[in-house]
Amino acid sequence: MTLLSKNILVALMLVFSFSVWAQSQNCDNAVEGHLYDYSTGEPLPYGTVQVKGTQKGTTADENGYFKISNICNKEFDLIFSFIGYKEKTHHHDIYHKLPKIYLAPSSFTLESIVVEGESNHGDLESATVSSLSATELEQNKTGSLASLAGNISGVSVIKTGQNIMKPVIHGLFSNRVLIINNGVRHEFQNWGADHAPEIDPSLIESLEVIKGAATVRYGPDALGGVILINPPKMDLFQPLKVETGVTAQSNGRSLEGNVQLNQGFHRTAYMVQSSWLKQGDLSAPNYILTNSGKNEYSAAMGARYDLAKMDFDIYYSHFEQELGILRASVNGNFEDLINSMESIVPPDTKPFDYDINNPKQTVQHDFVKLGGKLNGHDQTLDFQYALQINKRQEYDLRRGTSPSIDLELFSQTLDIDWKHPQIGNWMGSIGLQGLYQDNNNIPGTNTVPFVPNYNVSRLGLYLIESRQISSKDWLEIGTRFDYQYNSIRGREPNNDVYRNEIIYKNGSATVGYRRKIDKNRSFRSNIGTAWRPPNISELYSYGRHQSRIYYGLWRFEYDTQNEIETNSILTEDDKESSSEMGFKWVNSYNWKTSKIDAEITGYINYISNYIYSRPGGITNTVRGAFPYFLFEQTDALFSGIDFSAHFKHNRNWISQFRANYLWAEDLKNDGYLVNIPPPNMAYDLHYSTKKIGPFTGIKSSLKLNYFFKQYRAPRVITAREILEAQENDVTLFAVNNSNFDLMAAPNGYFLIDLAISADYKSFSLLFKVNNLLNNSYRSYTDQLRYFADDMGINFSLGVKYKLQL
Amino acid sequence: MKKLNYKIVLAWVLISILSWSCSDDDIPEAENEEEIITDVTLTFSPTAGGNDITALAQDPDGEGPKELEIAKNIELMANTSYTLTLALENSIAGESITEEVEAESDEHMFFFGWTDGLFSNPTGDGNIGTDQRNDPVNYDDSDENAQPVGLITSWTTGDAGYGTFQVILKHQPGIKSATSTSADGESDVDITWDITIQ
Repeated sequence: MTLLSKNILVALMLVFSFSVWAQSQNCDNAVEGHLYDYSTGEPLPYGTVQVKGTQKGTTADENGYFKISNICNKEFDLIFSFIGYKEKTHHHDIYHKLPKIYLAPSSFTLESIVVEGESNHGDLESATVSSLSATELEQNKTGSLASLAGNISGVSVIKTGQNIMKPVIHGLFSNRVLIINNGVRHEFQNWGADHAPEIDPSLIESLEVIKGAATVRYGPDALGGVILINPPKMDLFQPLKVETGVTAQSNGRSLEGNVQLNQGFHRTAYMVQSSWLKQGDLSAPNYILTNSGKNEYSAAMGARYDLAKMDFDIYYSHFEQELGILRASVNGNFEDLINSMESIVPPDTKPFDYDINNPKQTVQHDFVKLGGKLNGHDQTLDFQYALQINKRQEYDLRRGTSPSIDLELFSQTLDIDWKHPQIGNWMGSIGLQGLYQDNNNIPGTNTVPFVPNYNVSRLGLYLIESRQISSKDWLEIGTRFDYQYNSIRGREPNNDVYRNEIIYKNGSATVGYRRKIDKNRSFRSNIGTAWRPPNISELYSYGRHQSRIYYGLWRFEYDTQNEIETNSILTEDDKESSSEMGFKWVNSYNWKTSKIDAEITGYINYISNYIYSRPGGITNTVRGAFPYFLFEQTDALFSGIDFSAHFKHNRNWISQFRANYLWAEDLKNDGYLVNIPPPNMAYDLHYSTKKIGPFTGIKSSLKLNYFFKQYRAPRVITAREILEAQENDVTLFAVNNSNFDLMAAPNGYFLIDLAISADYKSFSLLFKVNNLLNNSYRSYTDQLRYFADDMGINFSLGVKYKLQL
Repeated sequence: MKKLNYKIVLAWVLISILSWSCSDDDIPEAENEEEIITDVTLTFSPTAGGNDITALAQDPDGEGPKELEIAKNIELMANTSYTLTLALENSIAGESITEEVEAESDEHMFFFGWTDGLFSNPTGDGNIGTDQRNDPVNYDDSDENAQPVGLITSWTTGDAGYGTFQVILKHQPGIKSATSTSADGESDVDITWDITIQ
C-alpha cells in the first residue's frame, strides 16, 4: 500500500507541474527539420517543403536542413517533395520539434516517413547506438528477432538450433540484455539460453541497439545493453494502405504470409497486422534436422488519437509459437549423450516432416499497452501502462503427455517520463518506472517445479540531464535508484514448501561526453555503472533439464568434507549472493564524409559477482550418470572492439565492412567463460540501380561472413572421458573444478549470402540464398553444436503486394 | 483543461491499483513426481517354489548429488529356474513407477546384459548393444504391438559362478519396434549389480 500511495503522489505531482500550457496565438510559430534519403539514410539536399493551403514554403539547404518561420496556426500540413522521390504529407504541430523526413526514392519499396522529435533512446545522447537500415530490415525479416539484430556490428546470437535465438550484446545475453518492444520492456522467461523472446520480426519497423550500460534509463536488466524495436508508426492523414506478402523457403519448406493495414485521419489513425508461418524439418547439408519444425501466428492492432497537445495510443498484440527441438539433442543418461554426440548423423534422424513431436516448446505472449503523451511548449510528459501475459510450456521426452515445465508470467509495467523545460543550460528528463510481476507454475507437470512461484515488485526513479559545454562539446549525466521486492514460494523434491522474501536496493549512475570534432568527425564516450539482482532461476533452480542437472546458488552448499550437499534450501544468511555490479566504458569514434561512413567502438565492461554455471561433478542415479552444474559467482571482464565502415564507390556500388573482437575473462579463477562469441568479419557488396527492364528499385547484395574459431574457450573434457573416469573411480573435478566444455569449439567457417530485390508495378519481389556454398558448419554459441551441423543452403522467394487507396 | 487532468489522474489511480494491490501468495501445487526413480527392486522367484530372492538399488536423493547405492546384490542358486519381476519406485514422493511403465508399455523396453555363461537359459550375454536386439532373453510379457516389455522375465542359472548383471530401461516413444535396440531412446534405468551363483 505504501507503494501505491507513493505512486499516486508522484503521478499527481507530475500532472500538476504540467498544467502550464503555451497560450500564443500569433504568427510567430516556426518549423525546422532535416530531409534524408530513406534508402541510404544520407541527408537529401535541395528538397521542397510547402505548408499546405498557403504560399509558404522553402527549399532545404545542401545538408537537407530547412526552416519555415512566421506560421500563424499551431497545427498545419507540410508537403515534402523532391524529383525522383515519393511525396509525403505530414500533419505537424508546434509541440513537436525538429522532424526528420525520410523521403523514399520513387523506385524504392517503402513509403516516405517522418520521424518527430527524438526517438526512444533520445535521453542517452552519449550512448553508442546502432540501427538497421530500412533495406537491411526489409531483406531480413524472415527469421528471428535475434538473427535480425545480429546484422548489427557488436551484436551476435546465442541459439538452440535455428528456431530459438537470443540476442547477445558484447558477450552478454539473457537477463543482461533488455528488449524494449514498442516502448515497453518485453517480459518473458528470460533465464535459459533456450528461451527466445516472443516477438515476430515480420511486424518490426525499426530496430536499434544501445551498446552501453543503459541501466540508468531502463533499469537493472539493461546491464549489457538494450534492443529497441518498434512496430509501424500510425501516421495521421495516411490514406488507407494495405500490404500483403508471402514468402516461401526451400530449407524447412516453409511458407509465411503477412498482411498489414494502415490508415490515418485528421485526429486518429489505426493499424492492423497479422502474420502466419509453417515450417517443417530444417536440413543441414548432409541430413535432415529431425523435429526442427516451427508454427507461428501473430497479430497486432493499434489506434492513436491525437490532439496535438495530447497524443494517446492503444496497442494490442498476440504471439504464439510451437517450436520443435532437434530430436537428437535430448538424451537420457550419459551413455545416451555420448552416443548422440559421437554419431556422424544424429541418432533418430528421419525423413522430412512437418509434424512437431516432443521435445518441443509452446509459447504465447499477449501484450496490451495504453500510452499517452502531453506536449507542452518546451516540455513533454510520456506515460504508459502495459500488461503482458507470457505462457511457456516445455515438453521433454518422458512418460505421459504433460509438459515438464509449464509457467505463466504476468507482468505489469508503468512508465512515466517528464522531459522538463530547459533549466539554465540543462535539458533532461525525470522518470518513474514500476514493475509488478507474478510467476506461477501451472499444476499438472508431474514433476517438482524447476523454478518456484514468485512475485517481483520494482520501483525505479531516474534523472538524466545533458548540457552543451561549448559549440562542440556536450556533457550528460544520469542517476537512478531502484527498489525491488521479491517474494518466493517453491517446493522441495519431497513436496515440502519453502519461502523467502528478498529486498534489493541499488543506485546507478552514468556520465557521458560527446564531441563534434569537425564537420566529418565525432567522438562519444560513456561510463556507466549497472547492477542486476540474481534472477530467481539462478538462485533456486533444482533438477534435471535435458542431460544436465542444475543446482541454483541457494540449492547447494559444501559440507565439512567439502562435498556438495543439497538437503536444505539456503537463504542470504547462509550464502551471500549479491547483485551483479557492472561498470562499462564505451568509446566510439565516427568519421563520415560523402563517400565513407566509418565507426570504431571500443569497450570495457567489468562485472563483479557475475553469475554463471560451472560443472560440479557427476552423480550416479537410477538412470545412469549425469553431470551436475552449480551456479556460482565470480568477477568477469569483457572487453572488445567493433568496427564498421561503409564505402560509397559510386551511384550504384557500395562496400561495407564489419569486424568484431571480444575478449572475456573469468578474473577470480583466471579462466575462460563459456559461450563467448568468437571474432568475426564480414564484407558486403551492394549494387543498386533504378531500373532494369520492367523492374525498378533493384537492390542486390553479396555478403561474405567469416566466423573464427573461439580459441579462448574452456578446457575440453569429453563425455566419454567423464564416464571412464567415473567407472575407474577417478575424481575428475576434485583437483580442478574450473570450467570445461564437453566438446572443443568448432572450427571457423565461411558463409556466403546473396539477396536480390526489385519492384514490379505494385509488387515487390525478394530472392535470397543463404549459405550459398552449402557449407557444413557449427556455431560455437549454438547449444545444438554438440549434436548436429547448422543449416545448409536455403533459397527464399518473397512477393509483396502494396495497395494505397 | 482541468477536466482532462482529472481524468488522467483517475486513470492513474486505476492503473496503480491494478499494479500493486493484487499481490498474491500462492504456492505451487504439490506434484506427483513421476520422472524420478529412486528404488529399483529385482525379485527372483524360483519357479519350483521357495523363497524369493531380491536385489535392490537405491538413490534416496534422486537428482541430488548423492550417489546411487547397490543396497543388495544378486545371489542365486545354481541350476535353478527363476521368474524375475522388476519394481520401480520413487520413494521421495511415495509413487510406484512400475504402473507408469505398464500403462505405457508400447514406449518402454527393458534390456538385460550379464557375464557370459552365468545362465543356461537364456544363453549368451544379453541383448544390450546396437546389434544385439535379437539375442536371447526370455520375455514373459509384451505390449499391444506384441513387442517384449521385460517387467517379467524367465531365467535358468548355470553352474556356480560370479559376474555382473545389468538392467537398462529405455523410453522409446514412437521408436520402439521389432528392431529398436538399447541404443535408441532415453535411459530411465541403467544399473549394474554384482551377481553370485552358488
